[in-house]
Amino acid sequence: MTKEPLLEIKDLYARVGEKEILNGFSLTIHPGEVHAIMGPNGSGKSTLSNVIAGNPAYEVTAGHILFKGKDLLTMTPDERANSGVFLAFQYPTELPGVGTALFLKTALNAKRRFEGKPDLDAVGFMKRLKPRAQALGITDEMLKRPVNVGFSGGEKKKMETFQMAFLEPDFCILDEMDSGLDIDALRTVSEAVNVMREPHRSFLLITHYQRLLDYIVPDYIHIMVNGRIVESGDKTLALKLEEKGYEDYK
Amino acid sequence: MKITNNLCLLTHNGQSETLSAKPGLWEIIVPGGEETVLSALVFSGDLSVRVVLTEPGASCRLKCVYLAGGDLKSRIRFDVIHRSGETVSDQIVKGILTDQASVSFEGRIRIPRHSQKCEAAQNHRAVVLTDQASVTAVPELEIYADDVRCAHGSAIGALDQTQLFYLMARGVPEEVAKKVLLRAFVRDILDPSFETYVDEWMEEHV
Repeated sequence: MTKEPLLEIKDLYARVGEKEILNGFSLTIHPGEVHAIMGPNGSGKSTLSNVIAGNPAYEVTAGHILFKGKDLLTMTPDERANSGVFLAFQYPTELPGVGTALFLKTALNAKRRFEGKPDLDAVGFMKRLKPRAQALGITDEMLKRPVNVGFSGGEKKKMETFQMAFLEPDFCILDEMDSGLDIDALRTVSEAVNVMREPHRSFLLITHYQRLLDYIVPDYIHIMVNGRIVESGDKTLALKLEEKGYEDYK
Repeated sequence: MKITNNLCLLTHNGQSETLSAKPGLWEIIVPGGEETVLSALVFSGDLSVRVVLTEPGASCRLKCVYLAGGDLKSRIRFDVIHRSGETVSDQIVKGILTDQASVSFEGRIRIPRHSQKCEAAQNHRAVVLTDQASVTAVPELEIYADDVRCAHGSAIGALDQTQLFYLMARGVPEEVAKKVLLRAFVRDILDPSFETYVDEWMEEHV
């Protein structure tokens, strides 16, 4: 039996200002699959993740995205998130004055309200928070600080992964999760992702390097150049890329 | 509490001095070795505060949050006089404006020629949520002494769209996200006893 796709992107065009960045991008992801998109700088990888998450700075000019069969492009960013889309940002934003614990509570309760559930009480919140924080080395001190303020690059990436584990989305986009991570942090973050791999949950990894894919092994690899996929294959495609670079695709 | 004309809350050195009184001129004389801390929350009307630092070691911190909505108008005037050398002053003003509200902030620092080795700072920041709201910041620095440290700045802008998107991308609806960011913006200088008033204002105006 063929499963319904979780995410279906068809012939997508998008731009920032006057600049066209996505040029007929198509991709279908089924539940449980891990896809990786690799591509040179400026190929549109981060635009793609921002468009899926609904960043208003990007304008979709044609094409469509279906998520669980529903039109994602008509939803606001919070509706997309509460429907199960999660973007782990390449450059997580700092929120001065907004405590991390309060932020997590606000996000979780927003999702619960969206699902028609009552807010989680303090005990339930801590129960959900503690084991996930421990697994990623998120300390109590970090949870007391304002969101991402004063965090190192590695801490910010861990915090993104932690938020993902905490909110339990169905579709996770990891936008250059490996950039700025040392080898130990990369291993910790990858383990947290691998623990989350389940038959109903899918991942889209966006990366420049093959290294990440040694730790999180994808089912499919796509090469993106000039705003569209130019080649798809299994994990061996990354090795070929590592050897030859993107020159053949340009 | 109904937010109407001429509503301003004050605490002076932690004591609540006046609630919903008609704001007028507050004059505070600070002798040597003492620090005075004034926190204000202004919804509308005129607030005028004059602080005179009379002897070495005197210092003052003026913290003011203004929340301006509807068609209300506010005028906030701070006037700090360093009558003696070796005195310290710090003015921090943060405001949120929406609807057709208008606010002017006039912050004066006066350091006469004989008042050497003073430190004075003034910072004003405002978030403007609508095109119809307006804010004017007028720093007036009258500094005649040459051995002093003095800094001032003013920044007026819209709500940070990157921060708003980050919260929304975590599932927080836009109006809740705005409130989270605006509360965070004013919290560091807000007297804790004013928090419920701020929440009430946000519910109505954001």
